[in-house]
Amino acid sequence: MTEQQYNVRVAHLYGDLMNTYGDYGNIIALRYYAQQIGVEVSDQLVSLGDDFNADNFDFALFGGGQDYEQSIVAPDLQRIGSEVRRFIENDGPIIAVCGGYQLLGNYFIMADGTRVEGIGAMNIYTENQATTRFIGNVTIKNPETGEEYHGFENHQGRTYLSNQERPLGKVVIGNGNNGEDGNEGVIYRNVFGTYFHGPILTRNGNLALRMLELALVRKYPTVDWHSKLANVTPEFF
Amino acid sequence: MTIRSSFASFAGKSTYWLLHDVLHRGGTSLPGKIATNIDPDILKNLAQDFDVVLVTGTNGKTLTTALITRVLREKYPDIITNPSGSNMIQGITGTLLTAKTAHNQRPLAVLEVDEANVVLITKYIKPKVFVLTNIFRDQLDRYGEIYSTYQKIVDGIKLAPNATIIANGDSPIFMRDDLPNKKFFYGFNHMDQSADFKAPANTDGVLSPTDNSILHYHSITYANLGDYFSTTDDFKRPQLAHAVTKINQLHPKFSNFDIDGTTFQIEVGGLYNIYNALTAYAVGRFFEVTPDQIHHAFESNAQIFGRQESINVDGKDVTIVLVKNPVGANQIIDMIATEADDYSLMALLNANYADGIDTSWIWDANFEKLHQTNIKNVITGGERYKDFNVRLKMAGFTDQAVYPDLNDAIDAIKAVPTKKVYVMATYTAMLQLRTHLLEQGYIKGRVTE
Repeated sequence: MTEQQYNVRVAHLYGDLMNTYGDYGNIIALRYYAQQIGVEVSDQLVSLGDDFNADNFDFALFGGGQDYEQSIVAPDLQRIGSEVRRFIENDGPIIAVCGGYQLLGNYFIMADGTRVEGIGAMNIYTENQATTRFIGNVTIKNPETGEEYHGFENHQGRTYLSNQERPLGKVVIGNGNNGEDGNEGVIYRNVFGTYFHGPILTRNGNLALRMLELALVRKYPTVDWHSKLANVTPEFF
Repeated sequence: MTIRSSFASFAGKSTYWLLHDVLHRGGTSLPGKIATNIDPDILKNLAQDFDVVLVTGTNGKTLTTALITRVLREKYPDIITNPSGSNMIQGITGTLLTAKTAHNQRPLAVLEVDEANVVLITKYIKPKVFVLTNIFRDQLDRYGEIYSTYQKIVDGIKLAPNATIIANGDSPIFMRDDLPNKKFFYGFNHMDQSADFKAPANTDGVLSPTDNSILHYHSITYANLGDYFSTTDDFKRPQLAHAVTKINQLHPKFSNFDIDGTTFQIEVGGLYNIYNALTAYAVGRFFEVTPDQIHHAFESNAQIFGRQESINVDGKDVTIVLVKNPVGANQIIDMIATEADDYSLMALLNANYADGIDTSWIWDANFEKLHQTNIKNVITGGERYKDFNVRLKMAGFTDQAVYPDLNDAIDAIKAVPTKKVYVMATYTAMLQLRTHLLEQGYIKGRVTE
């Protein structure tokens, strides 16, 4: 008998269109940590016209894109929206960045004022700002774990959470979701949404390990992943 | 010229004289700024004396401008160009203001123009030719998105409908608008044209402008450049007026290739530099420079490739290359992959304004591909050395030496186990390293370009 092969199957949602600021690095980071505990990470592009079956994936990355590409992705996403919502309601882990984060909500308003519908997987919404963007280094602190996360934000949208979601962190430096309420990002079930580029899982190893553990525990519940991951050193910068 | 323009011109020229001849400082922006403050229309008056070739795009502008100037000089001795870095409106005003021309014939001005400044320039100058190189993601923290960069260029072209456009036909973005201008395209035709595939997922700008379907390709040179076509309608790469018809040899220090059946060599590596040469060829042919003359211009080009120079550091053969975005970095990786000898890589990252303040782009570059090359040793450094260190660690390069202080980097170069060293650096990291190389006597002259 060979040792059991563990693997994490990642869906890279619209990765050929929503790929603006190194978001693929999140998969590179996940794979880097997974390899250290003998877990293989494979990734598959799910793009315009492709099927998405929630049962075929253990993790998803939904990256950020330019307004133009995002407006093309939005209507196509409706086609697989119910399956993405099923993945989320079954506690599938997703890292959603910038445009991907916005599209999982109810709607977002583009820079030019056009309203684009999301899939309402979370009860969040995104307004625009007339002329400015939030650009710069950002540091947040997660109120539950006390962990600090580092990143770079570059967004025009202003996102607001409802009382059904928690923020990923409270802003220490930077603007966060909307520059007003001190929130950055979102946590809803196992969805982690954020405006962080950097990318977030490369710069914040603790979060990468936490999400990897969520994916593995969900898929292989009888294995003690926490002990295995305790020996892995997270990168943080 | 109006009295106001004359006074503005006098004030600008005096400032240039003061800076240049008295204080011995370079720069054309301050004279341009002073002249423009006195007469906002000064540029219009100045440009009336020139036939302008306006070069714009995100990557390769400086080198392409230098090559075009070199090619056109074969036939037109009376030609001016702007120094690298003076590509915004004030620098261009200063360039025209301080130009010394013989006036035997109508002089040519080959001007590198920053993408966002095209519309500011064409408000005053009606170029004879627009040269469009490419639009890749570049310091988007400055200009937003590739489509808004494109739109800024198009807005500028729309003010000059009589100008001829000479554009990279391999770049789908340049076919988004049906502009009334006369157009010529150049591109690469050296590969098998029967293949049918999509660009890798991490490629920007692959949507067809007709119906937003994802473009297919018969061939790709790099990034989204290639012989593209739509599978849902008849949108495809335009007819090429000039093309690279064969690649004969790629080497880190030179490239040998055929354009329209004639063999050329440039003394610099990198496929992207063949695009720069092809662009200069296309512009040269438009101005009726012969292929023989262009061949001659390319032969004597070694010194204009300053951004990729080789330095001897106590017997180490050190090549410094500038990186600033993922497409450029991937091209450098491909160039280094043509190195036949063992080499060490020093990767230096800063995130100052001139570098681009967001370092995320390093994750879009394919450093994993370095495993297929003769790489023996990896060193990371610069103010953001941690980012590069983790990027390369996650690409599978463990045991990297790390040098946050570039003063120590030269000792690190001396200590590597290989004779050849490639330094991949962002702009301000490159300047810092050059400062130390200058201090230690390995290079001469000034640090800045």
